[in-house]
Amino acid sequence: MLGPSVAWYLGVAAFLFGTGALGVLLRRNPLIVLLSLEIMLNGSNLALIAFSRHHGNGDGQIFALAVMAVAASEVVVGLGLIVALNRKRLALDVDKLSTLRG
Amino acid sequence: MIPAGAWICLLAPLAGTLAITLCGTRISRVTAAWISTASVAVAFVGAIVAFAGLLGETPHKRSHLSTAWTWLEAGTFKAGLSVLVDPLSVFMMLIVSGVGMLIVLYSVGYMDGDDEERRYFAYMSFFVFSMLLLVQGGNLLILLAGWGLVGLSSYLLIGFWHERPVAVAAAKKAFIMNALGDATMALAFFVLILHGRSLDFGIAFATSSHLSSTAVNLVALGLLGGAVAKSAQIPLHTWLPDAMEGPTPVSALIHAATMVTAGVYLIARTHPIFEQARTIGLVAAGTGALTLLVAGLVALVQTDIKRVIAYSTMSQIGYMFLGAGLGAYANGEFHLMTHAFFKALLFMAAGLVIHALAGEQDIRNMQGIGRLMPRTRWAFLIGSLALVGLPPFAGFFSKDSIIAAAMGAQWYGWIFWVCALVGTFLTGLYTFRLYFIVFPGEPSPFVREHYDAHHGKEGPWTMTVPVGILAVLAVIGGWIQFAPLWTPVTMWLAPVARTLDIAEPTSWEEGISSALAVALGLAGVAVAWMLYAKRERAVPVVPTLQRALEHKFYFDELYDALFYRPSAAIAEWSRRGFEEPVVLAAGPELGDETQLVGRGVRRLQTGLIRTYVLALAGGLAVLAVVFLSVR
Repeated sequence: MLGPSVAWYLGVAAFLFGTGALGVLLRRNPLIVLLSLEIMLNGSNLALIAFSRHHGNGDGQIFALAVMAVAASEVVVGLGLIVALNRKRLALDVDKLSTLRG
Repeated sequence: MIPAGAWICLLAPLAGTLAITLCGTRISRVTAAWISTASVAVAFVGAIVAFAGLLGETPHKRSHLSTAWTWLEAGTFKAGLSVLVDPLSVFMMLIVSGVGMLIVLYSVGYMDGDDEERRYFAYMSFFVFSMLLLVQGGNLLILLAGWGLVGLSSYLLIGFWHERPVAVAAAKKAFIMNALGDATMALAFFVLILHGRSLDFGIAFATSSHLSSTAVNLVALGLLGGAVAKSAQIPLHTWLPDAMEGPTPVSALIHAATMVTAGVYLIARTHPIFEQARTIGLVAAGTGALTLLVAGLVALVQTDIKRVIAYSTMSQIGYMFLGAGLGAYANGEFHLMTHAFFKALLFMAAGLVIHALAGEQDIRNMQGIGRLMPRTRWAFLIGSLALVGLPPFAGFFSKDSIIAAAMGAQWYGWIFWVCALVGTFLTGLYTFRLYFIVFPGEPSPFVREHYDAHHGKEGPWTMTVPVGILAVLAVIGGWIQFAPLWTPVTMWLAPVARTLDIAEPTSWEEGISSALAVALGLAGVAVAWMLYAKRERAVPVVPTLQRALEHKFYFDELYDALFYRPSAAIAEWSRRGFEEPVVLAAGPELGDETQLVGRGVRRLQTGLIRTYVLALAGGLAVLAVVFLSVR
């Protein structure tokens, strides 16, 4: 087998996922939160593809394609929400959007 | 053809009920009344067909069991929906449907203009159906079903005027007392099923002869309990006088012709069991003797015309119990038949008076009504004479054979014989007290003021015709049997319920009993004439005795103290001790606790996305740790 072992790929995937998760948790701008989500999804995609190669079949790759489709749809909805927020002249800050508080 | 007649007889009144119920307000009240009358008339025709069929057969073959389908099946236990046609059931079918037809016809006039006439006639047909189911039932289970339905329909009819609280209370009382009897009967049946696995008459009777004496006594006692409750004998008699709150034709139907005689039918039907348990048979006879005396005494002081007749019914059924308990089944059944004639006549003649006086029932207000209603007066007089048992009226033939049968029994027979003779004296006294107070003499001011002549007649033809027919029957109805010379009723019933030898009186006993009974009856009439014909007082004037009688020997008070008050106290106690602190408090408490918990849990919902994500990530981390460590 050529190149580094699967562990390296998984390490990079975990790093990407962690970065994304930290971004979602810590950033307040919804645009950045969405961006961090994308990073998380791509981290998991990387892990899927690495395993696909490792096992030598295409299942993981197909799954990664499905995740991409979901990510694209999610971005459409998310960006739409952000545009709508902007039009209403609401603050672009997720901490201020807390009307669902119990 | 015989089973067909029986099924038609059974189902016609049910069809009448269903037709009236389903048509509702689409038919007029009068149509409903006639549907009901016609359905009972069809039943009577069916009974005649079955009777004619049986007449054409030899006596020992006169028994036909017709099963429609298996009604109930549990393991080896099977009970079919079946009717039994034999001399006894046909005898009862003829009485129930025949007298029932006249009473329903009478109701057409009596209930005219009542707000809920359709409901009344649906109930009437249903009652006749229940009673026919009871007497035709081909096994004990169907008999019990009819027994229960009779209780239900009498409850509905007694409480027919449901806007009157007294009527509703009377209906409940009747139902509860009857339910008690139903329960003891069901227990008796369980014992039979346990030992014989069947409730068919033949098998059940065969079973009873193998039972231990305790078991057979228990079975007989259970049956007697049912009979006593339904026939209003002491100690379960208090419902009958109260049941007079129902419409008068109902009183005639339930308390004269049909329902209260069911107990006598039951004893005659299940006589093999009572013959295995002679003690219980004698208890039945003793109950009858006691009841006929007590009811006769209480009847002396009642002032409501229907209540006097009701107590007289109890007393006469006491005679029937006396006869049936001693083993003179045919005599009991014969008295049942003549009693149906003259008691229905008395109730319906009383109903004519009540109808003419716009619902008045107090005899002290009715004085002198005979002047205005001469034909009713004659009808009532005939009924009274038949009730007292003077020849040639119906009661003479039937009652005297029962008294004579008591004489034929052993030493205890003499006690019963004396009771029965004292009873005839009381019968003469209370019956003619009623007659002398209500009918002869100048009409009282009350009567003049309230008398409402019905187009110059004493009532519509639908009311007067049945009274006339019954008056004729009350005269000639007894002539079909004159023991010991001429006994077709006894012969007819012999294949089903043969009179025991011990209850078969000799001619000498018949003669002396008849002579004494007639003499004592006449003495009662004479005393009544001396006391009441001058119309100076309505009740006897011995204060203590009078008070005891007016309280009906304190039976109601006794039951009140024994059953009502303890259960009311227990109910009150459990309301205070359990319902209010536990059940009632539980609702608000549960609500409060839920709100409190909710208020705490609400804090978790911050509205901040980061919290949720953190919870998700944290949960995931915990799960991962758990999975890894468990592996």
